[in-house]
Amino acid sequence: MANTDVRVDKHGNVHIAKKNRIRRFGLVDGVLLFFLTLLALLILYPFYNAFLVSIVPNTVYMRYKGLMLWPPALTFEAYEFTFKSSLIWTGYRNSILITVFGTIYNMVLTILCAYVLTKPIPGGKFIRFAIVFTMYFSGGLVPFYVLIRDLNMMDTLYSMVMPTGINIMYMLIISNYFKSLPPALEESAKIDGATDLRILWSIILPLSLPLLATFTLYYAVERWNEWYNAMLFVKSVNKWPLQNVLRTIINDVNMMATQNIPGQAKPDIQGDAIKMSSIIVAMAPIMCLYPFLQRYFLSGLTLGAVKE
Amino acid sequence: MTAQTAVRPRKKTFQHTLRVMWDYRWIYLMLIPCLAYFIIFKYVPMYGIQLAFKDFKLAGIAASPWNNFEHFKYMMSEPQFLPALRNTLIISFYRILFGFPFPIILAIMINEVYMPRYKRVLQTIYTFPHFLTWVVMAGIMLNLLGSTGMVRKVSEVFVPGIGENWNLMYNKNAFRTILVVSDIWKEAGWGTIIYLAAITGIDQSLYEAATIDGANRFQRIWYITLPGMINMIAIQFVLRVGAVMEGGFDQVFNLYTAPVYETGDIIDTYIYRLSFVKSTGINLGFTTAVGLFKNVINFVLLMLANGVTKALGQETVL
Repeated sequence: MANTDVRVDKHGNVHIAKKNRIRRFGLVDGVLLFFLTLLALLILYPFYNAFLVSIVPNTVYMRYKGLMLWPPALTFEAYEFTFKSSLIWTGYRNSILITVFGTIYNMVLTILCAYVLTKPIPGGKFIRFAIVFTMYFSGGLVPFYVLIRDLNMMDTLYSMVMPTGINIMYMLIISNYFKSLPPALEESAKIDGATDLRILWSIILPLSLPLLATFTLYYAVERWNEWYNAMLFVKSVNKWPLQNVLRTIINDVNMMATQNIPGQAKPDIQGDAIKMSSIIVAMAPIMCLYPFLQRYFLSGLTLGAVKE
Repeated sequence: MTAQTAVRPRKKTFQHTLRVMWDYRWIYLMLIPCLAYFIIFKYVPMYGIQLAFKDFKLAGIAASPWNNFEHFKYMMSEPQFLPALRNTLIISFYRILFGFPFPIILAIMINEVYMPRYKRVLQTIYTFPHFLTWVVMAGIMLNLLGSTGMVRKVSEVFVPGIGENWNLMYNKNAFRTILVVSDIWKEAGWGTIIYLAAITGIDQSLYEAATIDGANRFQRIWYITLPGMINMIAIQFVLRVGAVMEGGFDQVFNLYTAPVYETGDIIDTYIYRLSFVKSTGINLGFTTAVGLFKNVINFVLLMLANGVTKALGQETVL
């Protein structure tokens, strides 16, 4: 064992390594790091380019040929124009409303449903089947559209909040977690005369906070990203969430210009710059929050992967 | 007849069931809003499926007269239906061929990085686009690939006569490639998470033993990491194949334009366009029928996929 190195790390794990095989930075590591870093840059560059286009003056951008890595000149005209647009502001307001109310609605329904499914109630198996069945089969687009029309939800905030209630995958993961909590806690509370609602509120929920935080975050991102129901049901421009405003700006910059100053054409700012500044403004909340909340963002899927 | 039935205290009577239900009254109370949600927004649209066999009138579902299988007969002769079906399958096939292995390879590569902090930075970057919408992604892609975009400008240097109106987004031959590549761009990082979780579950002592036995890095990947992931890969693969009728509405809808309908139109965008773009004037019963056609195939495939994953030893939800 002359050339073997035995080492115990701070967690008490024993590492055995042959001296000449101690991990060092080899050629393979170099190639690997080079490739992975390149991939990261490729993923990021389109966003960076969008940012550059939004801050480079029109005339400079039009003449520019080649890969832009650094802004040749700076202007914030596009951002000034974007922030003057009433559409962006109503879009922000509507998206925030949808996110706040939608996430509360999602979490209340999801938690209730998850908790109910942990109980051996008569009919429980059938209810579980009926719920999971909707994951695999749906009425399709037209019946859904007719439903919202018949509910008189067309062109309302409700049409963007109410139809998206429970993500069944999230609900089942939460339900499994509830089931894994020690039943003794619940039983003792029951002996003390607590109702099921009380137990859920005072015992189950406080014990599940980290998991619930993760799924609240997932729901919040989904609601913030809402555009599909809005596209189907909401015709009034001032009720649109941000994503739909963005869609319109990307397809037609002039629309925003006429919203800004009625009757006046687009000012002499490059259309692309306005599009990109709008995108950056719309992305900003996620861009700012993501690096700090990344740990929560990434934990949810692994929770789902854990076998019960 | 058996000991088991004899031991059971008494038969479940109706009264007994009622008493149990009364004990769970709070639970049933909690169930009401959930059931209301599922009935209204999931099961009522299923009632609307009958439109597939009806001639839709604005008055509503009940007021529309039956026309039996007219819509299904018309489906085969509708000029855009079969191309949309073909495109859906081809695009799904490309996604499975190129998009499916990508996160697996990426997960293995990420796992080989021994610098924990840099590893986390990389993962953060790879996963970021997942949290954006295809609306944003499409805008950013248009900025790069469109007629004023960076790609045309750089190409102009090498190919002088490329033309002012050269626009990759309008190129029907490039469209499927754009779909597959941009899907990898957005979702591959997210896809690695589940595989990295599987790798975390591998017993570390296997690696140490292999190292002592003189296995090099590629041998360790081939004989330990990959076998450790293979169950997860199989499950993901089956589920992916089960969803073959889903062409990715959000992505295609935000990226496609009339010039690329020929190669890019999928069933979902076809249904949307025929239902809601005014000029087509098609009966909504017809698009309901197309939706039903798609959903039934989807359902059968998913059930098969579920059966296979169950056989692979994974718990399934249904």
